[in-house]
This record gives sequence, C-alpha cells and structure tokens, in this order.
Amino acid sequence: MAGGPPKALPSTGPRSLRDMPHPLAGSSSEEAVGGDSTPSPDLLMARSFGDKDLILPNGGTPAGTSSPASSSSLLNRLQLDDDIDGETRDLFVIVDDPKKHVCTMETYITYRITTKSTRVEFDLPEYSVRRRYQDFDWLRSKLEESQPTHLIPPLPEKFVVKGVVDRFSEEFVETRRKALDKFLKRITDHPVLSFNEHFNVFLTAKDLNAYKKQGIALLTRMGESVKHVTGGYKLRTRPLEFAAVGDYLDTFALKLGTIDRIAQRIIKEEIEYLVELREYGPVYSTWSTLEGELAEPLEGVSACIGNCSTALEELTDDMTEDFLPVLREYILYSDSMKSVLKKRDQVQAEYEAKLEAVALRKEDRPKVPADVEKCQDRMECFNADLKADMERWQNNKRQDFRQLLMGMADKNIQYYEKCLMAWESIIPLLQEKQEAK
Amino acid sequence: MEQAPLDPERQLQPAPLEPLGSLDTGLGAAVGKEAEGAGEENSGVDTMTHNNFWLKKIEISVSEAEKRTGRNAMNMQETYTAYLIETRSVEHTDGQSVLTDSLWRRYSEFELLRSYLLVYYPHIVVPPLPEKRAEFVWHKLSADNMDPDFVERRRIGLENFLLRIASHPILCRDKIFYLFLTQVFFFYLADSRLKALNATFRVKNPDKRFTDLKHYSDELQSVISHLLRVRARVADRLYGVYKVHGNYGRVFSEWSAIEKEMGDGLQSAGHHMDVYASSIDDILEDEEHYADQLKRSIFFYAEACGKAVCRKHELMQYDLEMAAQDLASKKQQCEELATGTVRTFSLKGMTTKLFGQETPEQREARIKVLEEQINEGEQQLKSKNLEGREFVKNAWADIERFKEQKNRDLKEALISYAVMQISMCKKGIQVWTNAKECFSKM
Repeated sequence: MAGGPPKALPSTGPRSLRDMPHPLAGSSSEEAVGGDSTPSPDLLMARSFGDKDLILPNGGTPAGTSSPASSSSLLNRLQLDDDIDGETRDLFVIVDDPKKHVCTMETYITYRITTKSTRVEFDLPEYSVRRRYQDFDWLRSKLEESQPTHLIPPLPEKFVVKGVVDRFSEEFVETRRKALDKFLKRITDHPVLSFNEHFNVFLTAKDLNAYKKQGIALLTRMGESVKHVTGGYKLRTRPLEFAAVGDYLDTFALKLGTIDRIAQRIIKEEIEYLVELREYGPVYSTWSTLEGELAEPLEGVSACIGNCSTALEELTDDMTEDFLPVLREYILYSDSMKSVLKKRDQVQAEYEAKLEAVALRKEDRPKVPADVEKCQDRMECFNADLKADMERWQNNKRQDFRQLLMGMADKNIQYYEKCLMAWESIIPLLQEKQEAK
Repeated sequence: MEQAPLDPERQLQPAPLEPLGSLDTGLGAAVGKEAEGAGEENSGVDTMTHNNFWLKKIEISVSEAEKRTGRNAMNMQETYTAYLIETRSVEHTDGQSVLTDSLWRRYSEFELLRSYLLVYYPHIVVPPLPEKRAEFVWHKLSADNMDPDFVERRRIGLENFLLRIASHPILCRDKIFYLFLTQVFFFYLADSRLKALNATFRVKNPDKRFTDLKHYSDELQSVISHLLRVRARVADRLYGVYKVHGNYGRVFSEWSAIEKEMGDGLQSAGHHMDVYASSIDDILEDEEHYADQLKRSIFFYAEACGKAVCRKHELMQYDLEMAAQDLASKKQQCEELATGTVRTFSLKGMTTKLFGQETPEQREARIKVLEEQINEGEQQLKSKNLEGREFVKNAWADIERFKEQKNRDLKEALISYAVMQISMCKKGIQVWTNAKECFSKM
C-alpha cells in the first residue's frame, strides 16, 4: 500500500525534490526531538484516527486524500504530461464581467465564472455562475480542508493594506478579477484539485449558499481537529529536502518582497517623472509662440515630449496592472506553501510519535502495528503529493517569472521604441529647415 | 582703456559710451567680443594691446582706511571712512612695482561706481560690494560703522570688489572704472552718465521695433529660465527612475543564488540592470551640455541683443528727444521775442513786466543769438537724427545677424538634444533587449 516516494515524476523538477530521503531513514540532525512538548502517544494516536475519519467524508471526491499515493502520483504524472503539450485539457474556466451589487446591508462585487468542460463530473458542457470574493474564500478553505496534502494556490489579499484603495474602483476590481481568474486557472490545471467536489460545486451550483450551509457542521468539527494537531510537536528528523524548501521559500518571499518594493518605487519615480514631463513639453510650446522660424521645430519637440509621456504612462500602467499582481501572487503562494509544509511536518510528527510509542512499549517485537503503518502511509502520501505539487509549482514559477520578466523587458523596450520614434521624427523637421536656409 | 599718461581733457571725454551711433562699441563690448573701434582715434588692435598692457601691469589695492570729517551737500557735518586706493605698475624689469596713482575714496563712491556698472552692463554680473552697514546684531552692538573690525572687513571687501572688476574681461576696460582709480573727479562724469542712463523710461516715442525686441527678449529669457528649471527637475526624476532600477541588479543577483534553472538568467539580467542604472550618468551629463548650450545662446542673445541694444537705443532716443525739446523751446522763445507775445508764464515775462521793455537792439541781439542757437540745434538734431538712423540701421543689421546666429545655435542645440534622446532610447532598448534575452533563458 505504501508506495514510497514516487520515482516516476518527470525529471524537470529541481533536484532537491527528487532525492528525498525516507523520513525515517534520514539521519539528519537538525530538528531534535522536543521531549517536553511531545504529547502522550496514546492521545496522538486517538487523534490521528479521528482526523482520518473526519477527512474521509470530505475527501470523498474522485481524487480525494484517501486515494493511495500511487494513484495520486499517477494522476500527477498524466496531468503534467498534459500540461506540457497542453492539448488534452478538458476544463476551462474564465472569470470576467465584474458587477457591483448594492444591497441594504452591504455593497459587493460579483464576478461571472464561465466553465466549459467535457469531464463526466460535469452534467452540462457549459456553466455560468456569479460568485463574490467570499465564495472564492470559501472555496479555498474547503480545498485546504479536503486536500491538506496539496498546495492550494493563493487568493488575492482580502484588503489592500497599502494606501487607501477604493474597493470598487475599476482598477482594483480589474486587478482582483485577474487574480481570481489566475486562482481558478491554477486549480483547473491541477490534476487533483480540479477534481475536487467543492470546486465542482463552486463552478456549477446555482445556489452556493445552500451548499455552504450543509458543510458548516463538518467545518466546525474539522477546525477543532486541526487546532489539536497544531498543538506543537518538534520533528525528530525533518527531511532535508523539505527543510531546504522551507529555507528557499523564506528567501524567495524576501526577495520577491524586495522586488515588489523596487517595482513600486520605480513606478512612483516614473509617475513623478511623468508629472515633470507633462510640464516640460508645454514649455516648448510656449516658447514656440515667441519664435518665427523656430516655431515649428519647437512645437515638434513639445509634441515629441508629449508622445514620450504617453508612452511612459502606458509603461507605468502596464507595470502596475501586470507586473505587481504576479509578484504579489507569488509572495502569497510562498505563504500557502509554508502552511502546507507545516501540515506535512505535523503528519510526520504524528508518525514519529506513534513509532516512538510503539518502540517504548514493545522493544523486542519487530513487527510494527497496523495503525503505525497506516500513519506512515499517510505521511508518505503527503510527501509524495507535496513533492509533486512543489515540482509543479517550481515549473510554473519558472515559466511565470520568465514570462513576467520578459514582459517587463518588452514593455520597457516598447516604451523606448516609442520615444525613439518620436525623437527621430523631429530630426528632419530641424534639419530640413536648416538646409533650406 | 587709455594709455597711462592721460591728457586730462581727453579723460573727461567718456570713451566707452560715445559716440552713441557707433553700435559696434557698445554691442561689441556687451557681448564680450573683441572691442572694435572703441576709442575715437585708437584702432581696435591698439585698444586691445593697451588693454592687455593695462591688465598685466597694474596692481590694485585698497591699502588704508581713515576716518574723516567733512561737510556734505547739505552743508552738514558728517563723519565717514575714506579708503586709500593705490594702483601700481609692475612693468619694471626687476619686478618692482611703482606706485602710479593713489587716491582716497569713500564708500558712497564705490556705490556710485557699482551702480554705474550695473546700469551700463546689465548683462554682466557686477561684483558685489561689502555690506553697507554692520548687518549683524553683534556688529551693531559695537556702536557704528566706524568700528575698526568692520572697517577692516569692508576694506578687504572693497579691495576684492576692485580686483574682481579688474579681472573681468569687459569691466576692466571701462573708462569710468579707470577714472575711478586715477582721477579724483570721476564722480561728476559717472553721475551725469548715470542720470542719462536712468532716463530710459522717460523716452516719449520709443521705436516699436525696439520695444518689441525688448519685450521678446524678456519673454524669451523667462521662458528659457522656466524651461531650464523644469528640465533640471525632469533630469532629477529620470535619474531616480534609472537608479532605482539598479536595485534590481542587486536583488536579481541575490535571488539567483537560490534558484537553479533560473539562476544564470537572473544573474546576468541583474548585471544588465546595473548597466542600465549607471548609463544615466552619461546621459545626464550630455543633457547638462544641452542645457548649457541653451543657456548660453539664449541668455547671450536676450541680454546682449535684446537688452543692451534696446537700452542704447533708448538712450539715443532720449538724447534726440531732449535735443528736439530744447530746440522747440528755443524756437518758441525766439518767436516770443520776435512777436513780443508771451504765451506762457515765464520769468522773462515777469522781468519784462517789472523792468519795462528791452530796447529793440537788445531784442535784436537776443533774437540773433537765439537764432544762432536754433541753427546750431537744428544741425545737431539733424546729425543726431542721422546718427539715430544709422544706429537703427546698424543695430538691426546686427540684430538680424544675431537672430540668425541664435536660430542656428538653437537648432543645433535641439538637434543634439534629439540625438541625445535617440541615443538614450537606443541604449535603453539595447539594455532591455539584453535583459530580455537573459530572462528568456530562464
């Protein structure tokens, strides 16, 4: 049953994810056992069973957590291959057409979500529903609950902290729409998450609120159990690989934060530059009214500076709309990833605690009890899922950043090309006159 | 401007200002070109050599300060400080300087010299004088302007003032300045000149072309200074935009350390960002060139051509109008005498009434004198008119020349500006293309 770490994953992922040591075999010394904080094995065992039971009803979807690691990894593999040639996609989701709703109690925005699919899980070939941010939030927490071993893509922040942003402004809504679209696309592309029952409901249900209410009882129970597990336990040996990912994420988020700040600063500088340019151009116009022969060239310079400022404005707009949101998404992504890593650690902790307990009770018996084996399975499933997800994430990240940074370069090139054209167009204006004389 | 041993008669003839008709003198000096035909007799070349001679061989110092008491114009007693100005020639072969002139001047005379220079050379930054009064509270505490510390500071300030004028290529050639150093009675000349120069606003019939020109140069100057100010700000902002990109260089390279496949691309893209950030230094340096070019050609034009010529023209116009006025009043007097009517109330009318009629002989004689004066005045007026027309003709020719020069200069400046912008854009495209290539390899 325990398939061990799946070896058949495409090798495009980073090395560190591939040579994962067995959680038990790993002799790494870093994370020592926190003796005092270790809960009693019995308690842990009982809880772990409870967890399992609780998870199962939720995860009873086509590709739930209960499916063995091998099948999950097989799916991963298939889907990854699909991703590569991109032809066998059978689910398409688009978020568009934001609408403002004004009620007596609150004002909010809904987005239209259009789904097209050939999958058997969908009764109709096409669905169109309206959802608000809350619903997305619900979906995400449901996914986190039901697929704890997977990396759930981040949602855009609920509130924009920086500056006083008008939540209903066109720019804000559009930026959020893009982010929500990206969120759903990421789920859609995911071989496991896209089959999630809640996701299906989210895309198709006429009345999502009714469905939400059904789940509430379960949710509260789940919440408790999650809280229990969070109770803290130090890992004996955290696989090097995951430790490395943790470190990587810390630095990664830090660097992205820096890039985000730099980008914002650049935009700010560019906007200030734009303000000055807007004043600079007209000065040439004013000057041209004083001149006879020089009037035309001066007007030309003024118009040219005008063109350059328009190009600059486009550049800053593009950077604000396209560049910053992607950075933010990845900063949030790293948080999601960290929380999954934490969960994985918990599962490993459980396993280790059980193993220890067994070892204490029956040192002489070589056979490991079934529940411990089960726990080990669970951990290994988790590891495999997470590994696959991280690999996928790394790939996505690479592609996304390549695109993002190339886009940035392109935008700048375009900006300079526009300015270049503008300035080149003036030269003849200046030269002809001189030669004519 | 003149040779050292001067004929006092000639000294009193203000060389740089007259003849007014000779535009070349004023304009030439004003624009800092070689002074051509400055003196009446001296050829341009001669003047130059004299100037150089004068500049090299003279040392100026304000060597002493002395408290004096005298009577002022209102016949009131006043105390002032006089400063001893010494000029030395250093032409001796052994390098020993020989005292050539030394005279006492008071602060107000320095002020007079400065205001003369200010008015006559509006386009030149005339060196400042030391403060007139003790400016600071703690200075005032020590009583008055007679405070020895204050006097000493002022002495040094006055000396610097003279030295700065002497080292200025145009100011040092000024006749009045020379007289200030050598003749006690420079004052009279400078003062009358000043009055004339300050009279511009009294011109009755200003030539529209000149007022337009003046107006234009004023406007141009204000537009250009605005332009230069805004450009400086634009440059500052641009600098910011580029330099902040430099941070990408650092963060990309730091980030590249934790990435595997992306690492190399990021690292070299970071390098390109560094290049981008540092490219702004050269760009802005070039732009500074452009700004200088603008400043030079415009201020040069506006000041020299617009202001100096206009001022000269106004001055001439003023002279002409004064002469015409004078002539008209004489004509009227003559007419009054001839007809015996008094149109306006005058002292003469009063005396006539009080002391009886003049004898016919007396009247005849006076009429004759007046008629002679009128003739003379008419001649003068004619020549002044001629002079004026000549001036206008020359001035316009010169202004046209300047205008063309200015247009050429400006076009050149604009072209080089555009070329600069183009090369900046090309640089930008190059850097970003390189960076893009790095990114594409990630």
